[in-house]
Amino acid sequence: MSVGGGPAAVALDVIEQSEGRMVLSMGPQHPSTHGVLQVITEIQGETVRKASPEIGYLHTGIEKSAENLFWSQASTVIERMDYLSPLTNALCYYLAVEKLLGIDATIPPRAQAVRVLLAELSRIASHCVWLGTGGIDLGALTGFFYCFDLRERILDLFEASGGARMHPNYIRVGGLAQDLPHGFLAKLDGVIAMYEPRMRDVRRLLQKNPILQDRMIDVGIISADEAVNWGLTGPCLRAAGIAYDVRRAFPYSGYENYTFDVITRTESDAYARFLVRLDEMDEAMRIVRQVRKVLDEPGPVQSPDTKFSPPPKETIALSMEALIHHFKLVSESFRVPPGDVYAAVEGPRGELGYYVVSNGDNRPWRVRTRPPSMYNLQVLKKIAVGELIADMVVMIGSLDPVFGEVDR
Amino acid sequence: MPSSQAPPAGATALDPTAVRPDIADARILRVTSDDVRSTLEGLRGDGFTMLLDLGAVDYLERQPARFDVVYHLLRLPDHAAGVEEIGTPERVRVLCGVRADATVVPTVSDLWASADWAEREVFDLFGITFAGHPDLRRIQMPDDWEGHPLRKDYPLRGVARERTPRPSFALKSNVAAGTPAAGRTAAGLQKQIAEVRRQADGLKTDDGTTR
Repeated sequence: MSVGGGPAAVALDVIEQSEGRMVLSMGPQHPSTHGVLQVITEIQGETVRKASPEIGYLHTGIEKSAENLFWSQASTVIERMDYLSPLTNALCYYLAVEKLLGIDATIPPRAQAVRVLLAELSRIASHCVWLGTGGIDLGALTGFFYCFDLRERILDLFEASGGARMHPNYIRVGGLAQDLPHGFLAKLDGVIAMYEPRMRDVRRLLQKNPILQDRMIDVGIISADEAVNWGLTGPCLRAAGIAYDVRRAFPYSGYENYTFDVITRTESDAYARFLVRLDEMDEAMRIVRQVRKVLDEPGPVQSPDTKFSPPPKETIALSMEALIHHFKLVSESFRVPPGDVYAAVEGPRGELGYYVVSNGDNRPWRVRTRPPSMYNLQVLKKIAVGELIADMVVMIGSLDPVFGEVDR
Repeated sequence: MPSSQAPPAGATALDPTAVRPDIADARILRVTSDDVRSTLEGLRGDGFTMLLDLGAVDYLERQPARFDVVYHLLRLPDHAAGVEEIGTPERVRVLCGVRADATVVPTVSDLWASADWAEREVFDLFGITFAGHPDLRRIQMPDDWEGHPLRKDYPLRGVARERTPRPSFALKSNVAAGTPAAGRTAAGLQKQIAEVRRQADGLKTDDGTTR
């Protein structure tokens, strides 16, 4: 067909001169990028020759904001980094602050158990979003509703604990804001009971689906040594066969008391990452069931040191000390001894770390996040080369980035 | 708007890492920008296969090194390995002091691929250059941004920038440019719409089609 001298001919000329290569910008508004990611791809036919992810579209300066807030206020913005598992962020930040304060050994066991419970529920809720939206990317619409329904039940538990579905801000220095409310455990039992049949449905819908398998198997492979070199952590690293899990390697909040397996696979393709996450949800539920058993025992959920945690309300009218501490905490928060510390937790996406520096003031001097999503996403530059442009969607989905965390 | 981040009185010789309490979170090495590269090369060869994170801290008034570039390393096997083989891997934190008048550090992006974006981010937000980095440009802030937001002397709400003049809304609407505010009331608009309709009617031919 003759195209004359119009723009189409010019475009064909350009492609011919560049050996059939053309540059295609994917995003930042592409629906499969799960937020705002732009990937500038150089393609030859349908094969990707080069991929350059561009990030920063969601940069909100959270680390800068945190430096200007009290120690206890900073968790408000910190929970908004990884908005699919906000509790994990707050937990990690407070672990770092508690280490600096030297009170990390005085957290009551019940508070630790609730922290573990909510962290594992966050993992399940976060993986539900990944599984649901990842399925949609590949045209599997039904799974989305099954996953989001389960997630909603878990978000109901967060709402009961802290008052908000997504950013409950429930964790405090020294423990929790308050004990679990009346009726929480019954709701939790409901979630535990619905989990297994629901996941059986989801697995039958997605895991054995031949279309999904065709799309994911042998796509986005990365070798074990490259995965370490690119700083991958979490399910992406374990799908390459390296059983590194912060919960097991550096236990925190009493994870050493619970039985769970570190799931690994060796294929290291998108399907392996998919299976690792699915099995991890089951392991998370296994931990939730173990925590549930110890929650029947009542106990304190706050460290008794009222220098950091608000004194019980009933003591304020009776004790001068309590009144002073309450006033100081509300008006100027607490001070943290000078020093720097790194604390890490196993988030749904990998090793989430906080490097916190204090100069002795009532605000953090520096709060540096180790964002697992950012390091996991970076590897797209490596794994996309040589793959089909249509598989780009699969690879982004299998890395599970959250842009609140990538861009912060 | 000035920043509220001025260090508290008496904290001018600021180095919190010097008075660090006894926390066993990592082995800590303090180096200068001259020997950071050789130290990190040595650690890489020694089995620290993963650069977990690379960040920076601005200590503002600390002398002689105003900044710290912080490397978090982890000793992991670079082949498939079980939980027992990994055990509790060793962590190392390398703090590299950087002087305010020479904010250049050699890159490690050739030693660890994960350093690529991390170094770009430190460059973007702190203005520390990594010599030898293949693609050192801003990553979080827009390409034409001025200043480095995570520096302590950068105000929280940013410096005032000249605003790009926006095209007037009036030009795009039925309201003629320069119409005084009174003409933009509902009644005024209706009057103008009626005028436009009247003009359009005037263009119509006898059989109702537009000329």
